[in-house]
Amino acid sequence: MSNRTLPRILQTPAVILLLIWMLVPLSMTLYFSFIRYVLNSSIRPEWMSPSLSNWRGFGNYKYVLDAKDFWFAIQNSVFIVASILVLTVVLGLGIAVLINKSFPGRGIVRVLLISPFFVMPAVNAVLWINMILDPVLGLQGIAVGSINDMIDGLRDFPVLGAFFNLWPTFEPISFRATQTSAYAVIMMVAWQWTPFAVLIFMTSLQSEDESQKEAATLDGASPWSQFINLTVPHLARPIAIVVMIQSIFHLSLYAEIEIVSRGSGNKNLPYLIGEFTNNNIGAASATGIFAVILANIVAIFLLRMVGKSLMD
Amino acid sequence: MATVSQSSKLGNALWPALAWIIALVFFFPIFWLVFTSFKTDADAVKPEFLFFFTPTLENYTNMTQNYDYWRFATNSVITSSFATLFALVVGVPAAYAMAFNPSRHTKDILMWMLSTKMLPAAAVLYPMTFLTKNMLGIYDTHFLVILVLCLINLPIVVWMLFTYFKEIPKEIIEAGKMDGVSTWGEIKDILIPLAWGGIASTALLTFIFCWNEAYWTVRLTTIDAATLSTLIEGNRAPEGLFFGRLAAVSTAAVAPIVILGWFCQKQLVAGLTFGAVK
Repeated sequence: MSNRTLPRILQTPAVILLLIWMLVPLSMTLYFSFIRYVLNSSIRPEWMSPSLSNWRGFGNYKYVLDAKDFWFAIQNSVFIVASILVLTVVLGLGIAVLINKSFPGRGIVRVLLISPFFVMPAVNAVLWINMILDPVLGLQGIAVGSINDMIDGLRDFPVLGAFFNLWPTFEPISFRATQTSAYAVIMMVAWQWTPFAVLIFMTSLQSEDESQKEAATLDGASPWSQFINLTVPHLARPIAIVVMIQSIFHLSLYAEIEIVSRGSGNKNLPYLIGEFTNNNIGAASATGIFAVILANIVAIFLLRMVGKSLMD
Repeated sequence: MATVSQSSKLGNALWPALAWIIALVFFFPIFWLVFTSFKTDADAVKPEFLFFFTPTLENYTNMTQNYDYWRFATNSVITSSFATLFALVVGVPAAYAMAFNPSRHTKDILMWMLSTKMLPAAAVLYPMTFLTKNMLGIYDTHFLVILVLCLINLPIVVWMLFTYFKEIPKEIIEAGKMDGVSTWGEIKDILIPLAWGGIASTALLTFIFCWNEAYWTVRLTTIDAATLSTLIEGNRAPEGLFFGRLAAVSTAAVAPIVILGWFCQKQLVAGLTFGAVK
C-alpha cells in the first residue's frame, strides 16, 4: 500500500460518519421547509405525511418571518448570548488575575471555582430556579422575608421606628415571568461558564512575560495601566476563543430555557423550533434553516477571528 | 517607601481572602444542593431549619422508589462509556493519520470537523425524530444514544488527540516504519503507549461531555434509554414540596462527574480550546 492511501483510509470512517451526520438530517430539514407538513390536521389529512405534492415554496419562510415570536426569539437569543459573554469575560478576567498569584490554598480555590462547569445543565437549572431563586421557598424568598421581618421589628422602636416606617416592604422577584426568566437563565449559565473563562485565562496568564511587567513597574506604571496595556492584549487570543466556544454552546441553549421559562413566553430560537415541532413541521424546518444561517454568520465571523491561531 | 510596603502588606493579606470569598461564592450553589439533600422535604422549605436541622439520609435511601435513579444512572454509564469508546476507536486512527501523514487537505478537514459542532441541534430535531422513529426504528434505544453522543463528540476527540499526537516526535514513528512494523503495530505498540496520558484525558473529558449532554439524550429517548438528564428535566416543577428528594437525586447525578472533572481540569483547557491555549 502506498504512503498516501493508508492515512486516507484511517481517517475515512471519521469523515464519512460526520458527513452523514451533517448532511442527512439537514437535507431533510431543507426539504421539509419547502412543503406543507403538519403532524395533526383533521381538515387536511394529506398534509400529515411529507410529500412533494404539498410543495409550498417559500411559504413556510414567509409564515415564520411574519410570526411575532420569531423576531422576539432572535432578539432574545442574541440578548442572552451577548449578556452571558460580557458577564463571563469580565468576571473571568478579574478572577483569573486575582488568583494568578500564589497564596495559601490556591489549589483548593481552583477546584472550588471550576466545579460549577461540570454540573449538568438540567441540574443547574433545577437548582437555581427552585432552591435559590424561588420567590417563596428559595433562598431569595427566605432572604427577602427575613429582611421584611427585621424591618417590621425595628418599626416598634421609639425614634428609629419613625425612620423604618418610611421603608417599604420588599417584594421578592419572580423569575418565571418573560423578562425575568431570561435574567435567571443568564445568571445560571454565567455561573456555570465563568469558571471556564477563568481556567483558560489563567492558563494563558502563566505564559505572560513577567520581565515586561517588572520593567513597567520600575517605570512607575500603575497596576491598572499594566492590566490594560500588557495583560489584556496578551489575553486577546484566549478571549476570542472563549467568545467563540461560548457562542457555539449558548446559541443552542435549550435545557435551561425549557426548565426555567416553560410557558413564560421567554424563548430563544431552539426553543421556538421545539414549539413548532409539536405540530407545524414546515415552520419548524424553516426556523431551523434560519438558525443554521445565524449560526453560520457567527461561525464565519468567529473563525476568521481565531481560526488562524487554532492551526498554529 | 514605607507607605508602599505597608499598603502592599495589606494587599498581600486581602488578595487571598478575596480569592477565597469568590471561590466560596461560586461553590455555594453546589454546597447548597448537597446541604439541602440531607433535609427532609418538609424541613427543606422551612426558614427555621435553614442552617440547623436534623440531617437525614432518607432522600438517598428512597431515591430508588422516588425516582428510579439507578435505572437512569445505569443508562448514563452505559451510553457515556460506549460513546467514549467508539469515539476513540474512530478518532485515534484519524488523528494518527492527520498528525503523522498530513496531506494538503488535513487542515481543511480539521476545520470542517469543527464546523459540524456549530450546526444548531434544534435545526435537525424533527428529521432526527422522523429518521429514528419512523424509518429506522431505533428511537429510545441505547444504540441510538451511543451513536449520537459519539458523533457530536467526535470532532472534539479528533482535535484533542491531534494536538497530543503532534507533540510526539515524528522520528519515533518513522523508526518503527524502518523496522518493518505494520501500521496497526505502530498505533498499538508505539503511539498508544507514548500518548497514553493524552488519550486518557481525552476519554475522561469526552465521558464528562456525554454524561452532561441534555439535548439529544432528552429528545431521542422516552423510557428505555433515558439518561439522568431526562430524569432531572422531567422533575422541573416540584412545586416546592420535594426540595429534599430533588436535591438528593441531583447531587447523585452530578457528584461523580464533578469529582471526575477535578482530575482533568488541566486537560479541559487544551481540549475545549482545540489546543489553541495550553
